Amino acid sequence: MTETSVPKGGHVRLGAVDGDLRVENNAHIEVDGQLVVAGRARFAGHAEVGGNFECGSFHSEDGTVQVHGDLVVREDLSSQDGAVEVDGQFRAREVDVDRGLRIAGPARAETIEVGGVLEGGDALTATTVSVGGRFHLKGLLTARAVEAGGSIDVGLVELETLEAGGLVRLQGGSVRRSIEVGGRFVSDGPIEFGSLEVGGVADLRGEGKGGSVEVGGMFSAQGNLSFSTLHVGGIGTIRGNGRGEKVEVGGKFEVGGSLELQGRLEVGGSVSVAAELMAHELDLGGRLSARRATFITRADIGGPVQTKEGLKAQDLRLRRKARAEGPLVGGTIRLGEKARAEDLFGTIVELGERATARRIFANTVRLSDGAAADEVTYTGSVDLRPGAQVRTPPRRADALPPFPL
Amino acid sequence: MPAGRDVKRGSSRRREVSDLYATVLEVVKRYHGAARITRVSYGVGMPVDRLRNLVERLLNSGLLKSEEVDGRPVYDITPRGQAFLDTYWKMQGYVEVLGRSNGEGPPDRS
Repeated sequence: MTETSVPKGGHVRLGAVDGDLRVENNAHIEVDGQLVVAGRARFAGHAEVGGNFECGSFHSEDGTVQVHGDLVVREDLSSQDGAVEVDGQFRAREVDVDRGLRIAGPARAETIEVGGVLEGGDALTATTVSVGGRFHLKGLLTARAVEAGGSIDVGLVELETLEAGGLVRLQGGSVRRSIEVGGRFVSDGPIEFGSLEVGGVADLRGEGKGGSVEVGGMFSAQGNLSFSTLHVGGIGTIRGNGRGEKVEVGGKFEVGGSLELQGRLEVGGSVSVAAELMAHELDLGGRLSARRATFITRADIGGPVQTKEGLKAQDLRLRRKARAEGPLVGGTIRLGEKARAEDLFGTIVELGERATARRIFANTVRLSDGAAADEVTYTGSVDLRPGAQVRTPPRRADALPPFPL
Repeated sequence: MPAGRDVKRGSSRRREVSDLYATVLEVVKRYHGAARITRVSYGVGMPVDRLRNLVERLLNSGLLKSEEVDGRPVYDITPRGQAFLDTYWKMQGYVEVLGRSNGEGPPDRS
């Protein structure tokens, strides 16, 4: 096959090249309509192609090849210690570039591997995209797998997996399987995902819908969020409504709307839910605040409880020195030593030593040493330990009044 | 911007050597056992000669491993290196939380 050569520093005009094309350093090629190379195009150093360019395969070394038009590579494109810049559209089969690839127009390839920086000004479609450093794209990104060692900053996405070492920011879209980010993840719009795993901080600024969420530091969802499990090491926030199976937060957890869980809510610090909180069970180290809270089985609370309409659980326990504002409804209600509550409604109500309550309505009531209540209404029995006090004599009734919640 | 700067983007704290190690490990990890030193240098945004020193230390610490392929060394992250990254990012998470509780708040990129 013949070879057409462009010498070092050469300035030529080309149209169709029957065989291969070899271009030396600092060459400039003016294009006659469109440059079409039937075979291989090889560049040694910097080069400029003045218009649309099509070739069988493309290889460059040690420089930047600029194409001021579209670039279509029928087979593979590679660049060793070099970079490629395309002002128009781009198409190739396999792309392997050491330093950087910049594409202004829409791009399509099977695989794209870039060592340094990949920049795109429009949509990009590929099976896999792998970038060692930074990946920036303004348009829609459609791929099976995308990964970068450094950062990813892209528009809307349609992906299977997304993985980055440092930082990911996207406008939204869908990542059907997994998102794994070492440092920080930000979605500026609605996002759907299979799973989301972030080492540092995750911020969903639109609606979020997905499977498991695991964040080492801080998690925030500015809109509604549905999930299977939410596991946050530090602080978790959902500004809208939350719906899922299970939540585990190490520090503080805030929900701006309602929270509905099919499983357990476990929080080391405090929980604040502006509207209604519903879960199967609760394990809480610190404070609980909600308009109303309902747990199907048990609620174990270490700190203060503040509800407007009440807190209900089949088995409700307030730990030592806990304070409760708003009615508590059981099942069984146990107040720890020196705990203080308002009205209690339950089958069994037990007050620990020196615990106090305002009114108690229960089948069975037990007050430990030094415990006190203003009123006790019961249908079964009352057990007052030495030093326990009820301001008005306990009243036995045939039936208890309807419980709140 | 090179990957290395992204690791601590938005943070006012001075970049520690642990940040550089994490950056190198993250980039090496993307090559799934076939990371060449030049490729890693483009990803990290660091000259090869300086990178070699970091890579040497990571090799000596068992966080990276290398083998010869076609007469050239290629690198891969070890389970110990992955453990380093897990710990590093977890620590970054705690730092964010402590910064928030100290009233500093997280860096906002918008």
